[in-house]
Amino acid sequence: MRIAAFLPEILRHLFKKPATVDYPFQKLEVPKDFRGTPFLHPELCIVCRACVRDCPAEAIDILTVNEADKKFKMVIHNDRCIHCAQCVESCPTAPKALEMDHLFEIAAFSRWDLKKEWEYVKAQVKPKAAAGTPSAEAKS
Amino acid sequence: MKFTVPIGPQHPALKEPISLRMTLEGEVIRDADIRLGYNHRGLEKLAEEKTWLQNIYVTERICGICSHSHATCYTQGVEKLMEIEPPKRGIYLRFLVAELERVHSHLLWLGVAGHEAGFDTFFMYTWRDREVVMDILEMVSGNRVHYAINTLGGVRRDIDDLQKKKILDSLDFLRRRSEFYFKIGANEPSFVARIAGVGRLSKEDALALCAVGPTARASDISQDVRKDDPYGMYAEVPFEVATATSCDVLGRVVVRVKELMQSYNIIEFLLKNLPDGPVAVRAPRRAKPNEVVSRYEAPRGENIHYIKSNGTDKPERLKVRAPTLANYPATVVMLRNGFIADIPLIFAAIDPCICCAERAVVLVDGRSGEEKIVLMSELRKQAHERWKKAPLKKDAVWPF
Repeated sequence: MRIAAFLPEILRHLFKKPATVDYPFQKLEVPKDFRGTPFLHPELCIVCRACVRDCPAEAIDILTVNEADKKFKMVIHNDRCIHCAQCVESCPTAPKALEMDHLFEIAAFSRWDLKKEWEYVKAQVKPKAAAGTPSAEAKS
Repeated sequence: MKFTVPIGPQHPALKEPISLRMTLEGEVIRDADIRLGYNHRGLEKLAEEKTWLQNIYVTERICGICSHSHATCYTQGVEKLMEIEPPKRGIYLRFLVAELERVHSHLLWLGVAGHEAGFDTFFMYTWRDREVVMDILEMVSGNRVHYAINTLGGVRRDIDDLQKKKILDSLDFLRRRSEFYFKIGANEPSFVARIAGVGRLSKEDALALCAVGPTARASDISQDVRKDDPYGMYAEVPFEVATATSCDVLGRVVVRVKELMQSYNIIEFLLKNLPDGPVAVRAPRRAKPNEVVSRYEAPRGENIHYIKSNGTDKPERLKVRAPTLANYPATVVMLRNGFIADIPLIFAAIDPCICCAERAVVLVDGRSGEEKIVLMSELRKQAHERWKKAPLKKDAVWPF
Protein backbone atom coordinates (compact mmCIF):
# COMPACT_ATOMS: atom_id res chain seq x y z
CA MET A 1 0.00 0.00 0.00
CA ARG A 2 1.28 3.36 -1.00
CA ILE A 3 -0.46 6.70 -0.72
CA ALA A 4 -1.28 8.41 -4.03
CA ALA A 5 0.04 5.69 -6.33
CA PHE A 6 -1.71 7.39 -9.19
CA LEU A 7 0.12 10.69 -8.71
CA PRO A 8 3.19 10.06 -10.95
CA GLU A 9 0.87 9.05 -13.80
CA ILE A 10 -1.22 12.20 -13.36
CA LEU A 11 1.90 14.41 -13.31
CA ARG A 12 3.21 12.77 -16.46
CA HIS A 13 -0.04 13.55 -18.22
CA LEU A 14 0.30 17.25 -17.46
CA PHE A 15 2.90 17.46 -20.22
CA LYS A 16 1.11 15.34 -22.78
CA LYS A 17 -0.97 16.51 -25.70
CA PRO A 18 -4.75 16.02 -25.33
CA ALA A 19 -6.06 12.64 -26.49
CA THR A 20 -8.91 14.30 -28.37
CA VAL A 21 -8.75 16.24 -31.64
CA ASP A 22 -10.00 19.76 -32.25
CA TYR A 23 -13.03 18.38 -34.05
CA PRO A 24 -14.71 20.85 -36.38
CA PHE A 25 -11.31 22.19 -37.47
CA GLN A 26 -9.43 18.94 -37.50
CA LYS A 27 -11.10 15.72 -38.56
CA LEU A 28 -10.18 12.14 -37.89
CA GLU A 29 -9.69 9.94 -40.89
CA VAL A 30 -12.08 7.04 -41.15
CA PRO A 31 -10.76 3.57 -42.06
CA LYS A 32 -11.00 2.52 -45.68
CA ASP A 33 -13.80 0.01 -45.03
CA PHE A 34 -15.91 2.51 -43.13
CA ARG A 35 -19.64 2.11 -43.62
CA GLY A 36 -21.02 5.50 -44.51
CA THR A 37 -24.13 6.07 -46.60
CA PRO A 38 -25.17 3.86 -49.52
CA PHE A 39 -25.24 5.32 -53.01
CA LEU A 40 -26.08 3.93 -56.43
CA HIS A 41 -24.17 3.61 -59.68
CA PRO A 42 -27.30 3.93 -61.87
CA GLU A 43 -25.65 2.48 -64.96
CA LEU A 44 -25.01 -0.85 -63.19
CA CYS A 45 -28.37 -1.56 -61.53
CA ILE A 46 -30.26 -4.52 -63.00
CA VAL A 47 -33.40 -3.92 -60.86
CA CYS A 48 -33.31 -7.34 -59.17
CA ARG A 49 -34.63 -5.75 -55.97
CA ALA A 50 -32.33 -7.84 -53.73
CA CYS A 51 -31.44 -4.71 -51.76
CA VAL A 52 -35.11 -3.84 -51.24
CA ARG A 53 -35.80 -7.37 -49.99
CA ASP A 54 -32.87 -7.55 -47.58
CA CYS A 55 -32.79 -4.01 -46.15
CA PRO A 56 -33.65 -4.40 -42.46
CA ALA A 57 -34.80 -0.79 -42.17
CA GLU A 58 -36.93 -0.79 -45.34
CA ALA A 59 -34.97 2.25 -46.45
CA ILE A 60 -34.71 1.40 -50.16
CA ASP A 61 -37.55 1.69 -52.69
CA ILE A 62 -37.38 0.92 -56.38
CA LEU A 63 -40.26 2.49 -58.27
CA THR A 64 -41.23 1.85 -61.86
CA VAL A 65 -41.30 5.05 -63.88
CA ASN A 66 -41.99 3.56 -67.28
CA GLU A 67 -42.28 -0.17 -67.83
CA ALA A 68 -41.89 0.01 -71.64
CA ASP A 69 -38.69 2.09 -71.58
CA LYS A 70 -37.39 0.07 -68.60
CA LYS A 71 -37.07 3.25 -66.62
CA PHE A 72 -36.84 2.91 -62.87
CA LYS A 73 -36.31 5.15 -59.89
CA MET A 74 -34.41 4.18 -56.76
CA VAL A 75 -35.11 6.10 -53.57
CA ILE A 76 -32.84 5.65 -50.56
CA HIS A 77 -34.39 7.02 -47.38
CA ASN A 78 -31.30 7.93 -45.42
CA ASP A 79 -33.43 8.96 -42.45
CA ARG A 80 -34.28 5.28 -42.02
CA CYS A 81 -30.93 3.84 -43.09
CA ILE A 82 -29.06 2.05 -40.30
CA HIS A 83 -25.77 1.90 -42.28
CA CYS A 84 -25.41 -1.88 -42.05
CA ALA A 85 -24.34 -2.20 -45.72
CA GLN A 86 -26.51 -5.29 -46.21
CA CYS A 87 -27.71 -3.78 -49.52
CA VAL A 88 -24.14 -3.72 -50.81
CA GLU A 89 -23.71 -7.31 -49.61
CA SER A 90 -26.90 -8.42 -51.38
CA CYS A 91 -26.16 -6.61 -54.65
CA PRO A 92 -25.42 -9.34 -57.24
CA THR A 93 -23.83 -7.29 -60.04
CA ALA A 94 -20.12 -7.78 -60.71
CA PRO A 95 -18.90 -4.27 -59.96
CA LYS A 96 -21.46 -3.56 -57.24
CA ALA A 97 -24.21 -1.16 -58.25
CA LEU A 98 -24.58 -0.08 -54.64
CA GLU A 99 -21.65 1.17 -52.66
CA MET A 100 -20.99 2.85 -49.30
CA ASP A 101 -19.33 6.25 -49.13
CA HIS A 102 -17.09 7.52 -46.34
CA LEU A 103 -19.14 10.45 -45.14
CA PHE A 104 -20.02 10.61 -41.49
CA GLU A 105 -21.30 14.17 -41.17
CA ILE A 106 -24.73 13.53 -42.61
CA ALA A 107 -26.99 15.53 -40.31
CA ALA A 108 -29.74 17.56 -41.96
CA PHE A 109 -32.44 19.97 -40.83
CA SER A 110 -35.27 17.90 -42.23
CA ARG A 111 -35.62 14.17 -42.78
CA TRP A 112 -36.77 14.90 -46.35
CA ASP A 113 -33.38 16.45 -47.12
CA LEU A 114 -31.87 13.04 -46.47
CA LYS A 115 -33.81 11.35 -49.25
CA LYS A 116 -31.73 10.50 -52.31
CA GLU A 117 -33.14 9.61 -55.72
CA TRP A 118 -31.74 8.17 -58.94
CA GLU A 119 -33.71 7.76 -62.14
CA TYR A 120 -32.15 5.37 -64.62
CA VAL A 121 -32.63 2.81 -67.34
CA LYS A 122 -32.27 -0.82 -66.28
CA ALA A 123 -28.86 -2.25 -67.11
CA GLN A 124 -28.53 -5.40 -69.20
CA VAL A 125 -27.87 -8.56 -67.20
CA LYS A 126 -24.49 -9.80 -68.34
CA PRO A 127 -24.22 -13.59 -68.73
CA LYS A 128 -21.83 -15.17 -66.27
CA ALA A 129 -18.38 -16.00 -67.65
CA ALA A 130 -18.56 -19.63 -66.49
CA ALA A 131 -22.11 -20.26 -67.69
CA GLY A 132 -22.02 -18.32 -70.94
CA THR A 133 -20.79 -19.83 -74.19
CA PRO A 134 -18.11 -17.92 -76.16
CA SER A 135 -20.71 -16.76 -78.68
CA ALA A 136 -22.96 -15.37 -75.93
CA GLU A 137 -20.03 -13.50 -74.49
CA ALA A 138 -19.18 -12.05 -77.88
CA LYS A 139 -22.74 -10.76 -78.22
CA SER A 140 -22.69 -9.02 -74.85
CA MET B 1 -39.17 4.92 11.38
CA LYS B 2 -39.07 3.76 7.80
CA PHE B 3 -39.15 5.85 4.65
CA THR B 4 -39.57 4.77 1.07
CA VAL B 5 -37.45 6.76 -1.33
CA PRO B 6 -38.08 6.39 -5.04
CA ILE B 7 -35.02 6.72 -7.26
CA GLY B 8 -35.62 7.00 -10.96
CA PRO B 9 -36.89 6.26 -13.57
CA GLN B 10 -35.11 9.50 -14.43
CA HIS B 11 -32.23 10.17 -12.10
CA PRO B 12 -28.73 11.59 -12.54
CA ALA B 13 -27.18 8.50 -10.95
CA LEU B 14 -28.78 6.21 -13.52
CA LYS B 15 -27.93 6.45 -17.18
CA GLU B 16 -31.00 4.59 -18.30
CA PRO B 17 -34.59 4.61 -17.06
CA ILE B 18 -35.27 2.21 -14.21
CA SER B 19 -37.16 2.75 -11.00
CA LEU B 20 -35.66 1.74 -7.66
CA ARG B 21 -37.72 2.06 -4.49
CA MET B 22 -35.67 2.00 -1.34
CA THR B 23 -37.13 1.44 2.10
CA LEU B 24 -34.81 3.26 4.47
CA GLU B 25 -34.08 3.44 8.16
CA GLY B 26 -31.96 6.52 8.49
CA GLU B 27 -29.11 6.05 6.02
CA VAL B 28 -29.43 2.28 5.84
CA ILE B 29 -31.35 0.52 3.11
CA ARG B 30 -33.66 -2.10 4.61
CA ASP B 31 -35.35 -3.20 1.43
CA ALA B 32 -35.17 -2.45 -2.25
CA ASP B 33 -37.65 -2.85 -5.04
CA ILE B 34 -36.73 -2.69 -8.69
CA ARG B 35 -39.39 -1.73 -11.19
CA LEU B 36 -38.87 -2.16 -14.88
CA GLY B 37 -40.76 -1.30 -17.99
CA TYR B 38 -39.66 2.23 -18.83
CA ASN B 39 -37.68 1.28 -21.87
CA HIS B 40 -39.82 -1.32 -23.61
CA ARG B 41 -39.40 -1.21 -27.39
CA GLY B 42 -41.16 -4.33 -28.62
CA LEU B 43 -38.08 -5.74 -30.36
CA GLU B 44 -39.17 -9.37 -29.96
CA LYS B 45 -42.42 -8.65 -31.80
CA LEU B 46 -40.53 -6.71 -34.45
CA ALA B 47 -38.28 -9.72 -34.99
CA GLU B 48 -41.31 -11.80 -35.98
CA GLU B 49 -41.97 -9.38 -38.86
CA LYS B 50 -38.46 -9.54 -40.35
CA THR B 51 -36.59 -12.21 -42.25
CA TRP B 52 -33.80 -14.30 -40.71
CA LEU B 53 -31.18 -12.10 -42.33
CA GLN B 54 -32.77 -8.77 -41.37
CA ASN B 55 -33.12 -9.95 -37.78
CA ILE B 56 -29.34 -9.98 -37.32
CA TYR B 57 -29.48 -6.19 -37.47
CA VAL B 58 -32.57 -6.05 -35.29
CA THR B 59 -31.01 -8.17 -32.53
CA GLU B 60 -27.83 -6.16 -32.84
CA ARG B 61 -29.81 -3.08 -31.88
CA ILE B 62 -31.11 -4.58 -28.63
CA CYS B 63 -28.10 -3.01 -26.96
CA GLY B 64 -25.34 -0.66 -27.95
CA ILE B 65 -22.51 -1.97 -25.83
CA CYS B 66 -23.09 -5.70 -26.22
CA SER B 67 -24.42 -5.43 -29.77
CA HIS B 68 -22.18 -8.20 -31.07
CA SER B 69 -23.23 -10.49 -28.20
CA HIS B 70 -26.87 -10.39 -29.17
CA ALA B 71 -26.19 -10.67 -32.88
CA THR B 72 -23.82 -13.62 -32.39
CA CYS B 73 -26.16 -15.38 -29.99
CA TYR B 74 -28.97 -15.03 -32.51
CA THR B 75 -26.81 -15.98 -35.50
CA GLN B 76 -25.39 -19.15 -33.99
CA GLY B 77 -28.91 -20.19 -33.00
CA VAL B 78 -30.22 -19.65 -36.52
CA GLU B 79 -27.23 -21.47 -37.99
CA LYS B 80 -28.21 -24.47 -35.86
CA LEU B 81 -31.78 -24.19 -37.14
CA MET B 82 -30.63 -23.99 -40.76
CA GLU B 83 -28.12 -26.80 -40.19
CA ILE B 84 -25.21 -24.89 -41.67
CA GLU B 85 -21.68 -24.85 -40.32
CA PRO B 86 -19.68 -21.63 -40.77
CA PRO B 87 -16.09 -22.09 -41.98
CA LYS B 88 -13.37 -22.07 -39.36
CA ARG B 89 -11.90 -18.72 -40.38
CA GLY B 90 -15.36 -17.18 -40.12
CA ILE B 91 -15.79 -18.50 -36.58
CA TYR B 92 -12.35 -17.25 -35.54
CA LEU B 93 -13.10 -13.78 -36.87
CA ARG B 94 -16.55 -13.72 -35.28
CA PHE B 95 -15.15 -14.45 -31.84
CA LEU B 96 -12.19 -12.15 -32.39
CA VAL B 97 -14.72 -9.33 -32.62
CA ALA B 98 -16.55 -10.83 -29.61
CA GLU B 99 -13.40 -10.69 -27.47
CA LEU B 100 -12.59 -7.17 -28.67
CA GLU B 101 -16.09 -6.21 -27.64
CA ARG B 102 -15.52 -7.75 -24.21
CA VAL B 103 -12.37 -5.65 -23.85
CA HIS B 104 -14.19 -2.46 -24.78
CA SER B 105 -17.13 -3.26 -22.50
CA HIS B 106 -14.92 -4.04 -19.49
CA LEU B 107 -12.78 -0.94 -20.01
CA LEU B 108 -15.96 1.11 -20.19
CA TRP B 109 -17.24 -0.52 -17.02
CA LEU B 110 -13.97 0.07 -15.16
CA GLY B 111 -14.29 3.75 -16.01
CA VAL B 112 -17.87 3.85 -14.78
CA ALA B 113 -16.87 2.11 -11.55
CA GLY B 114 -14.13 4.69 -11.03
CA HIS B 115 -16.57 7.49 -11.76
CA GLU B 116 -19.16 6.16 -9.29
CA ALA B 117 -16.48 5.77 -6.65
CA GLY B 118 -15.41 9.38 -7.17
CA PHE B 119 -12.20 8.50 -9.01
CA ASP B 120 -12.77 10.47 -12.19
CA THR B 121 -9.14 10.41 -13.30
CA PHE B 122 -9.41 6.66 -13.61
CA PHE B 123 -12.58 7.12 -15.65
CA MET B 124 -10.81 9.46 -18.08
CA TYR B 125 -7.83 7.13 -18.51
CA THR B 126 -9.78 3.94 -19.11
CA TRP B 127 -12.08 5.65 -21.56
CA ARG B 128 -9.13 7.05 -23.45
CA ASP B 129 -7.62 3.56 -23.66
CA ARG B 130 -10.97 2.20 -24.75
CA GLU B 131 -10.71 4.36 -27.87
CA VAL B 132 -7.86 2.09 -29.01
CA VAL B 133 -10.23 -0.90 -29.03
CA MET B 134 -12.97 1.14 -30.65
CA ASP B 135 -10.55 2.10 -33.44
CA ILE B 136 -9.64 -1.55 -33.97
CA LEU B 137 -13.30 -2.48 -34.15
CA GLU B 138 -13.97 0.33 -36.60
CA MET B 139 -11.07 -0.81 -38.73
CA VAL B 140 -12.17 -4.46 -38.72
CA SER B 141 -15.90 -4.01 -39.13
CA GLY B 142 -16.49 -0.51 -40.50
CA ASN B 143 -18.28 0.97 -37.52
CA ARG B 144 -17.60 1.80 -33.89
CA VAL B 145 -20.74 0.51 -32.23
CA HIS B 146 -22.83 -1.71 -34.46
CA TYR B 147 -20.18 -3.89 -36.05
CA ALA B 148 -22.61 -5.81 -38.30
CA ILE B 149 -19.90 -8.36 -38.98
CA ASN B 150 -22.12 -11.40 -38.53
CA THR B 151 -24.04 -12.99 -41.31
CA LEU B 152 -25.82 -16.31 -41.48
CA GLY B 153 -23.08 -18.82 -42.21
CA GLY B 154 -20.04 -16.83 -41.11
CA VAL B 155 -18.83 -13.25 -41.12
CA ARG B 156 -19.05 -10.52 -43.74
CA ARG B 157 -15.50 -9.23 -43.76
CA ASP B 158 -12.05 -10.71 -43.80
CA ILE B 159 -8.98 -9.15 -42.22
CA ASP B 160 -5.61 -8.77 -43.90
CA ASP B 161 -2.06 -9.00 -42.53
CA LEU B 162 -1.76 -5.26 -42.03
CA GLN B 163 -4.86 -5.17 -39.84
CA LYS B 164 -3.63 -8.23 -37.97
CA LYS B 165 -0.37 -6.49 -37.20
CA LYS B 166 -2.16 -3.32 -36.11
CA ILE B 167 -4.36 -5.27 -33.70
CA LEU B 168 -1.35 -7.06 -32.19
CA ASP B 169 0.47 -3.74 -31.73
CA SER B 170 -2.52 -2.14 -30.05
CA LEU B 171 -2.85 -5.21 -27.87
CA ASP B 172 0.60 -4.59 -26.40
CA PHE B 173 -0.44 -1.09 -25.39
CA LEU B 174 -3.74 -2.27 -23.90
CA ARG B 175 -2.06 -5.06 -21.98
CA ARG B 176 0.43 -2.62 -20.48
CA ARG B 177 -2.34 -0.25 -19.46
CA SER B 178 -4.47 -3.01 -17.92
CA GLU B 179 -1.52 -4.26 -15.91
CA PHE B 180 -1.05 -0.72 -14.68
CA TYR B 181 -4.71 -0.52 -13.61
CA PHE B 182 -4.39 -3.85 -11.84
CA LYS B 183 -1.40 -2.44 -9.96
CA ILE B 184 -3.29 0.74 -9.13
CA GLY B 185 -6.07 -1.35 -7.62
CA ALA B 186 -3.57 -2.93 -5.27
CA ASN B 187 -1.73 0.29 -4.45
CA GLU B 188 -4.32 3.04 -4.27
CA PRO B 189 -5.79 2.75 -0.75
CA SER B 190 -8.53 5.37 -1.19
CA PHE B 191 -10.03 3.62 -4.22
CA VAL B 192 -9.87 0.18 -2.61
CA ALA B 193 -11.36 1.47 0.64
CA ARG B 194 -14.31 2.91 -1.25
CA ILE B 195 -15.21 -0.30 -3.08
CA ALA B 196 -14.23 -3.02 -0.59
CA GLY B 197 -17.08 -4.49 1.43
CA VAL B 198 -19.71 -2.64 -0.58
CA GLY B 199 -22.60 -4.61 -2.06
CA ARG B 200 -21.93 -7.98 -0.51
CA LEU B 201 -23.38 -11.00 -2.26
CA SER B 202 -22.50 -14.31 -0.63
CA LYS B 203 -21.78 -17.38 -2.70
CA GLU B 204 -25.01 -19.05 -1.50
CA ASP B 205 -27.11 -16.01 -2.44
CA ALA B 206 -25.47 -15.69 -5.83
CA LEU B 207 -26.24 -19.36 -6.53
CA ALA B 208 -29.80 -19.16 -5.20
CA LEU B 209 -30.61 -15.98 -7.12
CA CYS B 210 -29.01 -17.21 -10.37
CA ALA B 211 -26.53 -14.36 -10.73
CA VAL B 212 -24.56 -14.52 -13.97
CA GLY B 213 -21.32 -13.24 -15.43
CA PRO B 214 -18.78 -11.19 -13.48
CA THR B 215 -21.33 -10.68 -10.66
CA ALA B 216 -21.41 -14.43 -10.02
CA ARG B 217 -17.69 -14.89 -10.64
CA ALA B 218 -16.90 -12.20 -8.05
CA SER B 219 -18.82 -14.36 -5.55
CA ASP B 220 -16.42 -17.23 -6.18
CA ILE B 221 -18.63 -19.16 -8.59
CA SER B 222 -16.58 -20.41 -11.50
CA GLN B 223 -19.27 -20.10 -14.12
CA ASP B 224 -18.63 -19.16 -17.72
CA VAL B 225 -20.53 -20.40 -20.76
CA ARG B 226 -17.31 -20.31 -22.76
CA LYS B 227 -15.92 -22.98 -20.43
CA ASP B 228 -19.04 -24.84 -19.28
CA ASP B 229 -20.75 -25.21 -22.64
CA PRO B 230 -18.15 -24.19 -25.23
CA TYR B 231 -19.57 -22.70 -28.40
CA GLY B 232 -17.70 -21.64 -31.52
CA MET B 233 -14.00 -22.42 -31.11
CA TYR B 234 -13.74 -21.82 -27.34
CA ALA B 235 -13.12 -25.53 -26.70
CA GLU B 236 -9.71 -25.21 -28.40
CA VAL B 237 -8.70 -21.85 -26.91
CA PRO B 238 -6.70 -21.93 -23.67
CA PHE B 239 -8.04 -19.49 -21.09
CA GLU B 240 -8.98 -19.40 -17.43
CA VAL B 241 -12.21 -18.34 -15.81
CA ALA B 242 -11.42 -15.31 -13.65
CA THR B 243 -12.94 -15.44 -10.18
CA ALA B 244 -12.62 -13.47 -6.96
CA THR B 245 -13.50 -14.45 -3.43
CA SER B 246 -14.27 -11.09 -1.85
CA CYS B 247 -17.97 -11.11 -2.93
CA ASP B 248 -18.17 -7.30 -3.18
CA VAL B 249 -17.66 -4.49 -5.68
CA LEU B 250 -13.90 -4.85 -5.27
CA GLY B 251 -14.22 -8.47 -6.39
CA ARG B 252 -16.19 -7.37 -9.43
CA VAL B 253 -13.44 -4.92 -10.38
CA VAL B 254 -10.77 -7.60 -9.95
CA VAL B 255 -12.74 -10.13 -12.01
CA ARG B 256 -13.15 -7.67 -14.85
CA VAL B 257 -9.50 -6.67 -14.94
CA LYS B 258 -8.47 -10.35 -14.87
CA GLU B 259 -10.94 -11.03 -17.67
CA LEU B 260 -9.37 -8.24 -19.70
CA MET B 261 -6.04 -10.07 -19.46
CA GLN B 262 -7.67 -13.35 -20.51
CA SER B 263 -9.35 -11.60 -23.43
CA TYR B 264 -6.01 -10.21 -24.64
CA ASN B 265 -4.59 -13.73 -24.56
CA ILE B 266 -7.57 -15.09 -26.46
CA ILE B 267 -7.31 -12.34 -29.11
CA GLU B 268 -3.61 -13.08 -29.53
CA PHE B 269 -4.29 -16.80 -29.82
CA LEU B 270 -7.03 -16.24 -32.41
CA LEU B 271 -4.85 -13.94 -34.52
CA LYS B 272 -1.81 -16.21 -34.40
CA ASN B 273 -3.81 -19.35 -35.24
CA LEU B 274 -6.13 -17.78 -37.79
CA PRO B 275 -6.87 -20.55 -40.32
CA ASP B 276 -7.01 -19.87 -44.04
CA GLY B 277 -10.06 -20.30 -46.19
CA PRO B 278 -13.39 -18.66 -46.83
CA VAL B 279 -15.12 -16.60 -44.15
CA ALA B 280 -18.71 -17.53 -44.90
CA VAL B 281 -20.91 -20.15 -46.53
CA ARG B 282 -24.18 -19.52 -48.30
CA ALA B 283 -27.21 -19.68 -46.05
CA PRO B 284 -30.68 -20.76 -47.11
CA ARG B 285 -33.51 -18.24 -46.83
CA ARG B 286 -35.82 -20.57 -44.92
CA ALA B 287 -35.42 -22.76 -41.86
CA LYS B 288 -37.28 -26.00 -41.12
CA PRO B 289 -39.79 -25.95 -38.25
CA ASN B 290 -37.73 -26.40 -35.13
CA GLU B 291 -36.66 -24.60 -32.01
CA VAL B 292 -33.28 -23.82 -30.53
CA VAL B 293 -31.75 -22.26 -27.42
CA SER B 294 -28.52 -20.40 -28.00
CA ARG B 295 -26.19 -19.49 -25.13
CA TYR B 296 -23.44 -16.92 -25.26
CA GLU B 297 -21.16 -15.39 -22.65
CA ALA B 298 -21.69 -11.67 -23.10
CA PRO B 299 -19.42 -9.22 -21.22
CA ARG B 300 -22.15 -8.94 -18.57
CA GLY B 301 -22.96 -12.62 -18.26
CA GLU B 302 -24.89 -15.37 -19.92
CA ASN B 303 -27.07 -14.25 -22.78
CA ILE B 304 -29.81 -16.62 -23.94
CA HIS B 305 -31.81 -16.49 -27.16
CA TYR B 306 -34.69 -18.86 -27.76
CA ILE B 307 -35.61 -19.07 -31.44
CA LYS B 308 -38.52 -20.95 -32.97
CA SER B 309 -38.96 -21.41 -36.69
CA ASN B 310 -42.03 -22.49 -38.63
CA GLY B 311 -40.66 -23.26 -42.06
CA THR B 312 -40.95 -19.73 -43.46
CA ASP B 313 -38.25 -17.10 -43.89
CA LYS B 314 -39.27 -15.40 -40.62
CA PRO B 315 -38.94 -16.60 -37.04
CA GLU B 316 -42.10 -17.65 -35.23
CA ARG B 317 -40.75 -16.48 -31.90
CA LEU B 318 -37.58 -14.90 -30.60
CA LYS B 319 -37.08 -14.64 -26.86
CA VAL B 320 -34.11 -12.78 -25.43
CA ARG B 321 -32.91 -13.23 -21.87
CA ALA B 322 -30.30 -10.54 -21.35
CA PRO B 323 -27.74 -10.98 -18.54
CA THR B 324 -28.84 -7.82 -16.73
CA LEU B 325 -32.28 -9.28 -16.14
CA ALA B 326 -30.74 -12.32 -14.44
CA ASN B 327 -28.73 -10.06 -12.14
CA TYR B 328 -31.62 -7.95 -10.80
CA PRO B 329 -32.68 -10.34 -7.99
CA ALA B 330 -29.08 -10.44 -6.78
CA THR B 331 -28.92 -6.63 -6.87
CA VAL B 332 -31.76 -6.39 -4.35
CA VAL B 333 -29.76 -8.55 -1.93
CA MET B 334 -26.62 -6.48 -2.58
CA LEU B 335 -28.46 -3.24 -1.83
CA ARG B 336 -30.02 -4.55 1.40
CA ASN B 337 -28.24 -3.26 4.54
CA GLY B 338 -26.07 -0.95 2.49
CA PHE B 339 -26.04 2.83 2.53
CA ILE B 340 -27.81 5.29 0.23
CA ALA B 341 -24.45 6.59 -0.95
CA ASP B 342 -23.56 3.10 -2.20
CA ILE B 343 -26.61 2.73 -4.46
CA PRO B 344 -24.97 4.02 -7.68
CA LEU B 345 -21.83 2.00 -7.03
CA ILE B 346 -23.68 -1.24 -6.31
CA PHE B 347 -26.03 -0.73 -9.17
CA ALA B 348 -23.23 0.11 -11.57
CA ALA B 349 -21.33 -2.98 -10.43
CA ILE B 350 -23.72 -5.37 -12.17
CA ASP B 351 -23.10 -3.31 -15.32
CA PRO B 352 -26.81 -2.81 -15.88
CA CYS B 353 -28.03 -2.48 -19.42
CA ILE B 354 -31.64 -1.48 -19.15
CA CYS B 355 -32.30 -1.49 -22.85
CA CYS B 356 -31.17 -5.13 -22.98
CA ALA B 357 -33.45 -6.18 -20.18
CA GLU B 358 -36.76 -4.52 -20.94
CA ARG B 359 -39.05 -7.25 -22.12
CA ALA B 360 -42.42 -7.08 -20.30
CA VAL B 361 -45.07 -4.54 -19.35
CA VAL B 362 -46.02 -4.57 -15.67
CA LEU B 363 -48.45 -2.03 -14.24
CA VAL B 364 -48.15 -0.90 -10.64
CA ASP B 365 -51.16 0.28 -8.70
CA GLY B 366 -49.96 3.35 -6.82
CA ARG B 367 -52.46 3.07 -3.96
CA SER B 368 -52.51 -0.62 -3.10
CA GLY B 369 -49.09 -1.43 -4.53
CA GLU B 370 -50.58 -4.25 -6.59
CA GLU B 371 -48.78 -5.28 -9.73
CA LYS B 372 -50.30 -6.88 -12.74
CA ILE B 373 -49.38 -7.68 -16.29
CA VAL B 374 -51.91 -6.30 -18.73
CA LEU B 375 -52.59 -6.65 -22.41
CA MET B 376 -52.64 -3.66 -24.74
CA SER B 377 -56.33 -4.29 -25.58
CA GLU B 378 -57.19 -4.29 -21.86
CA LEU B 379 -55.36 -1.02 -21.39
CA ARG B 380 -57.21 0.51 -24.29
CA LYS B 381 -60.57 -0.63 -22.88
CA GLN B 382 -59.74 0.88 -19.51
CA ALA B 383 -58.73 4.13 -21.16
CA HIS B 384 -61.99 4.31 -23.11
CA GLU B 385 -64.08 3.70 -19.99
CA ARG B 386 -62.21 6.31 -18.07
CA TRP B 387 -62.62 8.83 -20.83
CA LYS B 388 -66.41 8.24 -20.94
CA LYS B 389 -66.78 8.86 -17.22
CA ALA B 390 -64.50 11.91 -17.15
CA PRO B 391 -66.23 15.31 -16.79
CA LEU B 392 -66.04 17.71 -19.71
CA LYS B 393 -63.19 20.18 -19.37
CA LYS B 394 -64.81 23.58 -19.79
CA ASP B 395 -61.77 25.79 -19.41
CA ALA B 396 -59.58 23.84 -21.81
CA VAL B 397 -58.19 26.00 -24.62
CA TRP B 398 -56.44 25.21 -27.86
CA PRO B 399 -52.77 25.96 -27.34
CA PHE B 400 -52.34 28.29 -30.33
